[in-house]
Amino acid sequence: MWQKLKDGIEIRIGLTDLIENRLRQYRVPSDTNIFYTLGIVTMAAYVVQAITGYFLLMYYVPHSEHAFRSVQDIMTIIPFGWFVRMVHMVAANLMVALLFIHFISIFFMGSYKKPREITWLAGGLLLLVTLAFCLSGYLLPWSQRSYWATTIVSNLPTAFPVIGDALANLLRGGDSVTGITLTRFFSLHVGFLPPVFLSIVGLHIFLVWRIGLSVPPLSQSAEEESEWTEFRHATYSRSYPFYPNFLLKEVSMIMLFLAVTFFIMSFMPTLFLPEAATTPADPLNTPADIKPEWYFLAPYQMLKMIPNKFLGISLQIIAIIVFLFWPFFDTRAERNIMKRPLIFGIFLVLLALWFLLTYWGRYSA
Amino acid sequence: MVLTNLLGEVLSVRYIYILSLVILVSVATTASAGYREIFEKEFLSKPWSTDIVAESACIECHTSEVMDEKFRSIPQDWRVSWHAQNNVSCHDCHGGDSEDASMAMSHKRGFTGSPNYTDIPEMCGKCHIGILKNYVESGHGKALIEEGTGPNCITCHGSHNVQKVHIDIINAQLCSKCHPYERAKIMKQALFLTEKKIEKIENDLADLRKQGVYPDREEKNLFNTQAQFRTLFHTIDVTVVKDKTNFFTSQLNSIEDDIKGTFEELSFRKKFSTFLMLIFAGTWAIVTLIIRSKD
Repeated sequence: MWQKLKDGIEIRIGLTDLIENRLRQYRVPSDTNIFYTLGIVTMAAYVVQAITGYFLLMYYVPHSEHAFRSVQDIMTIIPFGWFVRMVHMVAANLMVALLFIHFISIFFMGSYKKPREITWLAGGLLLLVTLAFCLSGYLLPWSQRSYWATTIVSNLPTAFPVIGDALANLLRGGDSVTGITLTRFFSLHVGFLPPVFLSIVGLHIFLVWRIGLSVPPLSQSAEEESEWTEFRHATYSRSYPFYPNFLLKEVSMIMLFLAVTFFIMSFMPTLFLPEAATTPADPLNTPADIKPEWYFLAPYQMLKMIPNKFLGISLQIIAIIVFLFWPFFDTRAERNIMKRPLIFGIFLVLLALWFLLTYWGRYSA
Repeated sequence: MVLTNLLGEVLSVRYIYILSLVILVSVATTASAGYREIFEKEFLSKPWSTDIVAESACIECHTSEVMDEKFRSIPQDWRVSWHAQNNVSCHDCHGGDSEDASMAMSHKRGFTGSPNYTDIPEMCGKCHIGILKNYVESGHGKALIEEGTGPNCITCHGSHNVQKVHIDIINAQLCSKCHPYERAKIMKQALFLTEKKIEKIENDLADLRKQGVYPDREEKNLFNTQAQFRTLFHTIDVTVVKDKTNFFTSQLNSIEDDIKGTFEELSFRKKFSTFLMLIFAGTWAIVTLIIRSKD
């Protein structure tokens, strides 16, 4: 029976050829570390988001009068609704953390250098889309925290002269956060962002596959050093097949990601669910202390520090542009960051500043 | 060699650009204090919510220098009161128009000002309807209505700094202002167990909230039961309280059972997540061993 099924598939899609030529013969540097698997783990996190998001959609009501109640019903009445929502919430936060670590490791290993500039750019766009996912999804529970955090964020475009107010009103659908904002963010979250995300992921994976994985700068299996004057797939002096060797490494890291997700759900269930997140939104009652999620704490604290909001927003936009197009600024061939003390120093300062601002944002009044 | 490389990078225009960004960020982080007000004004405002946040005409006037000093502490007393925490404001009791200073004390807008001593229960009873009924029929109420000397609401609860009721409001110091404490003590004993149960349920509900649960149904049930029970107390009839205690205890037990169920559910969630964590951690360990064996 099994053999018959296997033969049937073999005749129709040529599975053996696919595995042999596309997976086994696809080579990967043999000294890749676990940081090379973060891309696929992030993708797995997205798949988890898509599946749990689909189930949440069955019961969530995107209306300001019912949204909070429907989320609470998912948490308390719907069988295993709590499980679906908690996985959605924890995995979303871990996905952002994974993306941050992915970028830091790519930067340290110089993997964005020619010919992988577009791969970096696509990755940067994916990070921005993920943050847009977080932002739009954040409002949906219509809790006190989500309402007021969105009030802050949706006021940010007003920093721009002339078009600022119009932009903010377009985002909110009015002068303030209302039910219209909720439906806008909802449609963005479930209708617009997923196809955008998947399209960029497609491009990102295609580029990684087409060019081949980079190798760590101090690796024994270094790529050919010749100039990239025409397209060629990366070649390595020491390599192993993608399937099963590298795929197993990826599977192991996905398992670890899921184990961490359930660890947080077991032992730190309120890590991303503070009390203000379980209090219904009250537009007439401004909470004393509003904090955005941890990944927005650094830019939030920075905005608080800068007296002029236009300057604050402009700085952040410049930082995003520099981040996205970094491989086009940094065109030196040297990939070993230890041989570039200035870049290394600047990066460490920025990283330390990020942590400092995050910590400050979390604990400041 | 390293020095030449470093110099080359410093001279590169793009790095000067990046460096300037770092300096700007650093300057921003060490910027002066006082930012919070500006930030809130810029980002935390909504055209229609600022009206609510703005001080009412009553408070503005009562906190101004022109106000007689004995009335100036009223807003501060109110701000820390249970009423303030529940959005009950000046005009809810005293009438008038809190949004229009010129009409704030207009009788056309229902302003009653400071009521007479004997009219106070009626003022409070506009909202606390059940309590008014029981109070009027009680010894306290009769003494006030018939003789004009009995205690009214503010005798025990205070006026502007009304606090959330606790059983300790019945105490020797307060009650013995008018009569021996012994009778009040018997009443306190009759109430004690039920009040303690209410207190425990309140703590459990606060605990549930901390654990990410929104126990609104239990909170509403508790509020209703508590309100009915405390209404009963205003009869100051120990027999009535004792007779009805079983009824309230069973209602509170039902709420406690619901809360217990929620705690059990939380415990199940933890066990279920831990089980899945172990499954995936185990799979991770097995796959890692397979990878090692292949290497």
